[in-house]
Amino acid sequence: MDRVSRRDFVRGVAGLGAAVLGVPGTARAQGAAPREVKGVLTTADVEKAEKEGALVFYGPEIERQLIDVLQAFSKLFPKIDTGKYLREQTGRLYAKLTAERRAGTYLADVCDLTDIAIARDFQKNGGWARYLSPHVKAYEPRFQSEASGHFTWCGADVVGIAYNTNLVPAAEAPKNWKDLLDPKWRGSLNFKDSASGWQGIQWLLFRKMYGDRFWKDMAEQKPRGLASVTQQYERLISGEDKVNGIAQFSVYLKNKEKGAPIAFVFPPDGVIVGPTVTGVVDRAPHPEAARLFVDWLLSPVGQAAYVKANYYYSLRKDVAAPPGGRPIAEMKVLVPDWDESVATHGQYVKEWNALVGLR
Amino acid sequence: MQKLIFFVVVSVCGGFVLYPLAFLVLMALNTGPPTAWPPEQYGLANFAGLADSPAVLLNTLYVSLLSSGMTMVFGCLLAWILSRTSVPGRGILEQLMGLPYYVTPLLGALAWAALGGPRSGLLNQLWYAMGGRAPLVNVYSPLGIAWVMALFEGSVAFVMISAAMKSMDPALEESSQVLGAGKLQTAVRITLPLMTPAILGTAIFVFAEMLGSFSAAAILGMPDRFFVVTTAIWTLILRFPPDYPLAAAMGLSLFAIMAGLMYLYGRIVTAGSYATITGRAFRPRVLKMGWMTWLLFAVCVAYLVLAVVLPMATLGYVSLLRFVTVIPKDVHWTLSNYQSAFEMAPVRSALGNSLLLGVATATIGALLMAVLSLIIYRTRMPGRQLLEYVVMFPQSVPRMVFGLGLLMAWVVMPVPVYGTLWLLLIAYLTVFLPLGVRTLSGVVLQIDRSLEESARVCGASWLYQVRTVTMPLLRPGLIAAWMLLFIASVREVGASVLLVGPRAKVLGPAILSSWESAGTQLTAAMALVQVLVVFAALAVLVATVGRVWRAGDE
Repeated sequence: MDRVSRRDFVRGVAGLGAAVLGVPGTARAQGAAPREVKGVLTTADVEKAEKEGALVFYGPEIERQLIDVLQAFSKLFPKIDTGKYLREQTGRLYAKLTAERRAGTYLADVCDLTDIAIARDFQKNGGWARYLSPHVKAYEPRFQSEASGHFTWCGADVVGIAYNTNLVPAAEAPKNWKDLLDPKWRGSLNFKDSASGWQGIQWLLFRKMYGDRFWKDMAEQKPRGLASVTQQYERLISGEDKVNGIAQFSVYLKNKEKGAPIAFVFPPDGVIVGPTVTGVVDRAPHPEAARLFVDWLLSPVGQAAYVKANYYYSLRKDVAAPPGGRPIAEMKVLVPDWDESVATHGQYVKEWNALVGLR
Repeated sequence: MQKLIFFVVVSVCGGFVLYPLAFLVLMALNTGPPTAWPPEQYGLANFAGLADSPAVLLNTLYVSLLSSGMTMVFGCLLAWILSRTSVPGRGILEQLMGLPYYVTPLLGALAWAALGGPRSGLLNQLWYAMGGRAPLVNVYSPLGIAWVMALFEGSVAFVMISAAMKSMDPALEESSQVLGAGKLQTAVRITLPLMTPAILGTAIFVFAEMLGSFSAAAILGMPDRFFVVTTAIWTLILRFPPDYPLAAAMGLSLFAIMAGLMYLYGRIVTAGSYATITGRAFRPRVLKMGWMTWLLFAVCVAYLVLAVVLPMATLGYVSLLRFVTVIPKDVHWTLSNYQSAFEMAPVRSALGNSLLLGVATATIGALLMAVLSLIIYRTRMPGRQLLEYVVMFPQSVPRMVFGLGLLMAWVVMPVPVYGTLWLLLIAYLTVFLPLGVRTLSGVVLQIDRSLEESARVCGASWLYQVRTVTMPLLRPGLIAAWMLLFIASVREVGASVLLVGPRAKVLGPAILSSWESAGTQLTAAMALVQVLVVFAALAVLVATVGRVWRAGDE
């Protein structure tokens, strides 16, 4: 901890020096004037980034979609190889990332996380290399780390309820979150497992909204905790489960396009907004490529590619919503108290493991 | 020089085995902050916690008993049919019985999940189409896990039991028949009791393997809210915050049970009072089973269909579909899963890494383990029995638990090995020590000492003798060990899952990760591509080894 604050301090001083004197160094990128390269405004040294030749990305996005995003970047910058990536759910990704860093192995350049509590823990431990992308200004402060430049929301998904229309007639479908406690869903509900960031957000929100009882009653429903959204929808579409209790709108849209027998419910009590944040990792082996990637990802070009691949919402006002997606402004949205989310994270993991059968 | 080699080999192996275990013990006793190292506080609270909520341990015992029972039925039945009866095509069938080992429980579980999901499984879809109402089978259950594990462990049990059956003198069976007993009566009253030590030994070995097994429990258990020790450890470690102490306590408990069983196994194997192997020459005779021959033949074929043909065909079928269905009008064929598969990490980097690691593990392992076998069985070095014990030790540690120990041990080391292929190599060399040493020691013990002694008498140094006499004599053993180690490391999952990273992906964990996030069809495509490449690599290796061998003989 001490070491980290000292490093932060040194970096802060260096940044200050760079800003005042224009000294090149760690903070050069932050002080340098941005230039436009292939439609992307960046302060990264593109030639150096291409010389680094690779970018190692850690992210929880669906693997196929994660590759689509990386390939969109590689198309613009073909000299930067993006073939080495690590795809895991946020909780696992962070467990791996912290274990690696403790072991003195620094492999990640850029990391996406879907849990603000974890992103803040990473920030507290000096995990992010603070980098003020020229695009950060386009994001409202609430969609950035507290001191901007550590992490920024690169996308958001809307989370509601989904059900199988072959097995559940619309009249009987759950209308609101509390309907999930109806005993008729016993054994046919699915959620995510405790490695999911958004599951933690839902756990905390509902505890506040509906009281501790909600999840105790949910335990009686014997819900499944699945390892990814792909599994959640696969089981829903095939009829193994009837209701998805933490349904991502993005994946619903993609499956609906293919004609899957499913429907989405926007609960009147509000939909959950699931963030994905991105940032440059401290001691990245390819630091310039990392900065270039984050600039690209947060730029209108990169955001368009990100939305196209993932069907998430961009937090930029100048990037369109995913095809078929309602504007987020029309929805009642639920956002947790992030400080509380940080404080209760350990409790969430324990309780959620027990809820989905690990006791 | 001799002493130096001994010293290096012994200390490396001792270090490989004991160093991670020490971490495991310390971590299990850590009652302070779970991620602090070294622990700030010691106690037994983690074990007390296990005793309070024993569900995971009981689940593990339950599913292991169930699957061991089934495995033994498969193993005994097949071994008896193929070594004691007159079924047609015995030679070929016997060779084919090894195939399930290559298919692996991981692919087996994936295929059986597609076959036996209660609503969407292909078998159940067919059943509903024929008018069935309740699901015919449900593999997402303890019974389903046990079924898949038994199918694929069955071939190991078969090999162990049939080896024993073949060395049994048939005179006793013949006497029984002469005295008027029927064939089945003879099988149950004579053959089975005679085989008791071999069967018991195999059963214990299989049960211990089941306790540490992971893939089937992950794919078929976790969606059913059913956790065993290995899947629980996986869940506890790969979370934020990770619960290392509880995971270590679970791992040690499992290790304790397994170590006890292995001790028992050793006692049974060495205390054979059922002497049927005598100096009298005998001719292995097979029973003529009459009309039952075809029934027995069908049993063998059925096993191969369930464990090999059906799973592979299912993966092939599913990989070519847009949606998983058996309703002809809904079937949409596509090759897009293969196109995607070639762009994704499991095929692109994991395959290459696995083959590379396989070759490295096999080559380094075979040499290392040959030296160890020579030290243990051919020298009078003090403490060689202790060394034998240490080397065989990983046998009684579930591979996932060893992976956990290695993870904890290397994370705190200043050498940046975690997240690289090096750590995987260390892991494989350690967990496969017993496999390699057992294979090689079998050959070492067969070599007559006098050959080596002649070399020494003629003035050769130890190294010269090893190089010119021992190693050439060991060649068949070395080649067998090489192949075994190669296959074992390519199909490894349990120890690897906790150790992989972006630059160190390997097949098993990569397939598992696709199963989690890429969907059934895509995973099936990737799994098939991998199996085919591994088979092709094996074929090339076998051909090369064969050529080298022949060249050496000329």
